[in-house]
Amino acid sequence: MSIATPDRFGAQSAASLTERLTGARRDVRGRIVEWILLSALGLSLLILVALVVNLVDRAWPVLDGRLGDFLSSGLDASNAAEAGVWQAIRGTLTLAIIVAIVAFPLGIACAIYLEEYAGQSRIARLIRINVRNLAGVPSIVYGILGLTIFVKFAGGLTGGRTVIAGGLTLATLVLPVVIITASEALRAVPQSIREGALGVGATKWEAVRSHVLPSAAPGILTGTVLALSRAAGEAAPLLLVGGITGLLRTGNQSIWQQITEGGFTSMPVAIFSYARQTGADFQAVTGAASLILLVLVIIINGLAIWLRNRFESRW
Amino acid sequence: MTRTRWTLAAALAVVLPLAACGGDDDSSQAPSTDATEASTAPVEGSLEGSIFISGSSTVEPITAAVAKLFSDANPNVAIQVEGPGTGDGFAKFCAGETDVSNASRKIKDEEAATCADAGIEYVELKVAIDGLSVITSAKNSAVECLSFTDLWALLGPDAIGRNNWSDASDAAVELDATLAGKFGKIHAPYPDAPLTVTAPGEESGTFDSFVEIVFGKIAKELGIEDDAPRPDYTASPNDNVIIEGIAANDTSLGWVGFAFVEENLDVVKPLQVDGGNGCVEPSPDSIASGDYPVARSLYIYISKSKLADSAALAAFVDFYLTDEGMSVIGTGEGQVPYVPLAAADLEATRAAWAAR
Repeated sequence: MSIATPDRFGAQSAASLTERLTGARRDVRGRIVEWILLSALGLSLLILVALVVNLVDRAWPVLDGRLGDFLSSGLDASNAAEAGVWQAIRGTLTLAIIVAIVAFPLGIACAIYLEEYAGQSRIARLIRINVRNLAGVPSIVYGILGLTIFVKFAGGLTGGRTVIAGGLTLATLVLPVVIITASEALRAVPQSIREGALGVGATKWEAVRSHVLPSAAPGILTGTVLALSRAAGEAAPLLLVGGITGLLRTGNQSIWQQITEGGFTSMPVAIFSYARQTGADFQAVTGAASLILLVLVIIINGLAIWLRNRFESRW
Repeated sequence: MTRTRWTLAAALAVVLPLAACGGDDDSSQAPSTDATEASTAPVEGSLEGSIFISGSSTVEPITAAVAKLFSDANPNVAIQVEGPGTGDGFAKFCAGETDVSNASRKIKDEEAATCADAGIEYVELKVAIDGLSVITSAKNSAVECLSFTDLWALLGPDAIGRNNWSDASDAAVELDATLAGKFGKIHAPYPDAPLTVTAPGEESGTFDSFVEIVFGKIAKELGIEDDAPRPDYTASPNDNVIIEGIAANDTSLGWVGFAFVEENLDVVKPLQVDGGNGCVEPSPDSIASGDYPVARSLYIYISKSKLADSAALAAFVDFYLTDEGMSVIGTGEGQVPYVPLAAADLEATRAAWAAR
């Protein structure tokens, strides 16, 4: 195959162009970059594999010996042989539900306002920038906020150091993330979808409700559920608002009392609690608890992917 | 659209039962009421109420273990134990939030004043002893014993920048001349080896205890205010991290709770300590007898105003001080590895509780 090259570049140019187009093997630089990228990927995967292998290795005495017992026992930081994660799992799930109830509607509402109604005014832009900054605030700061507002100031409503205060704190923590991801999902909806609705006489709200929101639903769902898995992995703010680290016995409290008055714990708090204890037994317990949190988070993320695929729409 | 709605409903249907589980009660684990636990309360198993315990993370395992036994015998009592630290615990205790405060030191004057301002009276009960071990790497054969004077020269406020053991030799000789052996003989000259220090940070009760026991008296003797250790060391509140730090350097130095050393004798070496009466090896016996100079008492503080309202709280403390309650402390399987009180001390604690 010959390549037509203007005369002024000369025959050499034509030859080098031909070579470049056909001789990929001699593209040394390209090869090097490819290898660097591949090794970056390999390294990341290696770290992940090493983490999981290390966790399984640490956790093996528990996984092998008393997994069922471990899953059904309560928090116990004094005796590794009786330590478990049942209370922590249900605490994490309760927190996740509170976060879902509080942060999702609020965050999605904020996002709809910012994207569909607020326009490009100076204030709207300022708010958007601030929301982005809030998403980067360290979680411990939200813990202080939760302690001040939900435990001390509104203690009468939340019951003090309860799972409600913890859930509200986590909801505040993930709210900016929910707003940002929902905003991005809304922004990705083609303008023509809105125009189509408005063109046949729909009001703004009707267009948003029946056209924009359904189109953006997969993105919003993915974002919110990922925010949920972030909330499920937080320990620091919960330690401040009262996550129990030593022992949690609920006595004859009813379910309602446990939620509104009693103490709570969660997976990350339990892991923190077990990691502080000494001895190989507690290392195994810590490893097993970490693995279970990992599985929980994978389940939540899997749910996100499933929901996204389920609601995926094409235009 | 309809299909989408059904899917949403189905997703909710999956999630909501989890919400119901969320508040489930764990009393299913509690019914093992052994006959041996008859000593707990006047009316076995019929007690109700809730007990909230916070404070020292060092004491937390003891109290949690006792609470577990108590809870097994009294399944209707709700108990929560947490361990944010002695200082944080007293802050909650003096705000009336907790019933019992675990403490790895006595209450400070300012904390006591806060309690007094809030109208909270308390009973102080000594429940166990925690020895602090001065440790180095197991590979370090150059050092066997250090006196308080040595520790001041190597770790005290003036030791800042001494990155080699031998840097402290001159200071130790000078200090020895002033203190005249009151806090033990010095072991200078020290080996010519790098000095890397890993120890608890300021937020830790173990830090406070070490400063109080080892440095406090020397600072007083020297007539200086500053009894804080050199700031230039690797600090961690996590005892396991400290053990790792000590093990990582052959000529390291630091201190940690005695119980943590016993489990790591393969990597760290506890040093003998001379507090003025000769070098003493840390051991359960030498700590309990008081011969080993770097040991601290562990306490629980009970709110008197909460006692008036809660029969469960009084029963819990009663149980704590029984032989069965105290049996959670020890180095056996499933026991919390601190040093139990000597018989006379335990009697004194029981007397203090009875006289509340």
